[in-house]
Amino acid sequence: MSVDIEAYEDVWVFVEQHDGVVAPVSWELLAKGRELADETGEDLVALVMGDGVSALAEAAVSRGADRALLADDPVFEPYRADPYGEQFRALVEERKPSIVLIGGSHTGRDFAGRVAVPAHAGLTADCTELDVDDEGLLLASRPTFGGDAMATIKCPAHRPQMATVRPGVFDAGDPTEPVTDPAAAVEEVDVVVAEEDTLSTVIERVVGDVVDITDADVVVAGGAGCEGNFAPIEELADALGGEVAATRAAVDEGWVEPARQVGQTGKTVRPQLYVAAGISGAVQHLEGMNDSDVVVAVNTDPNAPIFENADYGIVGDLHEVLPELTALVRAKQEVTA
Amino acid sequence: MTDGWNIVVCVKQVPDADDVTIDPDTGTLNRSDAPAVLNSPDRNAVESALELRAAVGGTVTAITMGPPVAKAVLQTAVGAGADGGVLLTDRAFGGSDTWPTSLALARAAAELDADVVICGEESTDSSTGQVPPGIAAHNGWSQLTYVESLEPRPDEGVLVGKRDVEGGYERVAAQLPVVVAMEFGANEPRPAGLHRKIFAETEFEPVEWTASDLGIEDQVGLANSPTKVGGMDTASPVERERVVVDSVDDLYEHIEEVV
Ligand SMILES: Cc1cc2nc3c(=O)[nH]c(=O)nc-3n(C[C@H](O)[C@H](O)[C@H](O)COP(=O)(O)OP(=O)(O)OC[C@H]3O[C@@H](n4cnc5c(N)ncnc54)[C@H](O)[C@@H]3O)c2cc1C
Ligand SMILES: Cc1cc2nc3c(=O)[nH]c(=O)nc-3n(C[C@H](O)[C@H](O)[C@H](O)COP(=O)(O)OP(=O)(O)OC[C@H]3O[C@@H](n4cnc5c(N)ncnc54)[C@H](O)[C@@H]3O)c2cc1C
Repeated sequence: MSVDIEAYEDVWVFVEQHDGVVAPVSWELLAKGRELADETGEDLVALVMGDGVSALAEAAVSRGADRALLADDPVFEPYRADPYGEQFRALVEERKPSIVLIGGSHTGRDFAGRVAVPAHAGLTADCTELDVDDEGLLLASRPTFGGDAMATIKCPAHRPQMATVRPGVFDAGDPTEPVTDPAAAVEEVDVVVAEEDTLSTVIERVVGDVVDITDADVVVAGGAGCEGNFAPIEELADALGGEVAATRAAVDEGWVEPARQVGQTGKTVRPQLYVAAGISGAVQHLEGMNDSDVVVAVNTDPNAPIFENADYGIVGDLHEVLPELTALVRAKQEVTA
Repeated sequence: MTDGWNIVVCVKQVPDADDVTIDPDTGTLNRSDAPAVLNSPDRNAVESALELRAAVGGTVTAITMGPPVAKAVLQTAVGAGADGGVLLTDRAFGGSDTWPTSLALARAAAELDADVVICGEESTDSSTGQVPPGIAAHNGWSQLTYVESLEPRPDEGVLVGKRDVEGGYERVAAQLPVVVAMEFGANEPRPAGLHRKIFAETEFEPVEWTASDLGIEDQVGLANSPTKVGGMDTASPVERERVVVDSVDDLYEHIEEVV
């Protein structure tokens, strides 16, 4: 089954929001979507769903979208896959976007996987490069097998061409020049889902502020080698004015909040300095830190793969090395202060 | 529902990540060199299915789509305690992306009259995480992804999942039938019992279904996959200095150059 691909146009970006707060990855994709739309000569359209979120649709216009589609209804707060999916299906059927970009957060992946099926869309996961070819076909590239290879995935005969991108892969940039009347570019769409037709109910939601480590210039990351004591990591990060990050192993132990996880299923960071302490260097972790300028490794095992992926390393116990390092940083700061 | 739930657990056979190599001449993956194993996140799915069966009664059926040798992952699931297994195998499935893969699994789950389908978070080979929501979408069922723990409410026909979401968690009550993707590491998978393992390896035979058994022979395979792998490039590895220093003072000097 293929479709009349000529009938599909425009680049859509799904603006993920919770409680009126936009997930930063959505702005990252809006900036990338702007580049793609400029190349294909199409409109960049922000898709905003929620309850009382017209201000976010306007914010998307101020950030470079040519237009915003707003589905505003209590059924869309908080996020649930089935009402979001049903609304998206109806919009795609009616409006026929050519490209749809979605953040690779838990919410975005939950949504993308659901909506690609009824649309019979091609959906490429975890892209790290997005481009369009001469015919306007989306070229979605993703690392495979631990970053040893890049697969470029195309979707020649189906529409829309969908892709998810993990947080931190692209740069959000700054909002463009203020738009005089952003509300004029916002279109409120018909809501096609009714609460009684939904298949699920959110009975409890416990969320706090979500830190964003993706823009940090210095990241100090700890792994299983911390053995429950993250204080040396936190103190060095504090001294260097950086952010604390962690491996999935450390997050799973509950030592660090999930928003600080770096790697394939976490964030991508590209700081000037990345300190990896008590981290073995599994491929899934390296994927999130490989774009760092300088990587420093501290590990007791001289054969740990992290040393192959670091610029400077020291074989030693992080509980001794990091406090010494922190003291040196502090001492220097006192001299210059 | 006095006789419990029909629980289906999806298990995928993947190459052992450590043993996949890239052919330097063609840039393609030498998957054939690598021993095939059960996708490790699916161990959490199997464990969760067994726990659910213990709580509400019923049966656990493992399903996999793959070549005949994928029977091995059904044996692993049966060895751990699953009641039976179904192998979806057919040349017609070859080259399927997530759209047809989730269609085949969805049809099989419907055929098995599933109340709950449990998957892993994502595979370790192509790691899209798109198959579980895809199964739910094909069948119009509810879905719970990134699940840390499950709380069945059989009297209400509802499964409550605690989901890991950005900045915290949420508890979502989903109507049956429901597709669940367990978070990798959400539980401690039990080891196979000795007798069960022997049974799985010597007596157990999976049920085999082809694409036409499921009535989807015209909707699967490479030709019916929206995504096409357009090219595979060997990524240039990041160049690192790989200097190992002897003292913290030396390390500090290198850090000072950066910040
Ligand atoms: C589907 C999937 C997705 C995944 N996604 C991610 C992801 O996004 N991010 C991620 O990080 N992982 C991810 N993982 C997990 C990944 O495979 C590794 O298991 C994980 O990165 C290991 O974390 P670690 O390095 O902290 O622990 P370990 O591998 O256990 O390494 C600990 C290291 O600490 C060293 N050490 C011990 N004590 C000390 C000490 N006192 N001082 C100094 N060093 C010490 C040890 O020598 C060892 O090298 C994923 C896995 C799967 C299957
Ligand atoms: C390099 C490369 C990149 C690819 N990228 C994409 C892409 O971006 N988009 C795309 O649509 N396809 C892609 N594919 C195709 C993809 O490999 C298949 O669709 C794959 O069989 C299913 O996807 P997955 O492994 O990512 O499953 P996931 O969605 O990651 O798996 C989640 C869970 O679903 C269950 N499951 C998945 N597959 C099976 C199965 N065969 N049998 C039983 N249970 C299963 C398991 O419980 C598993 O834990 C890619 C293939 C390659 C080689």
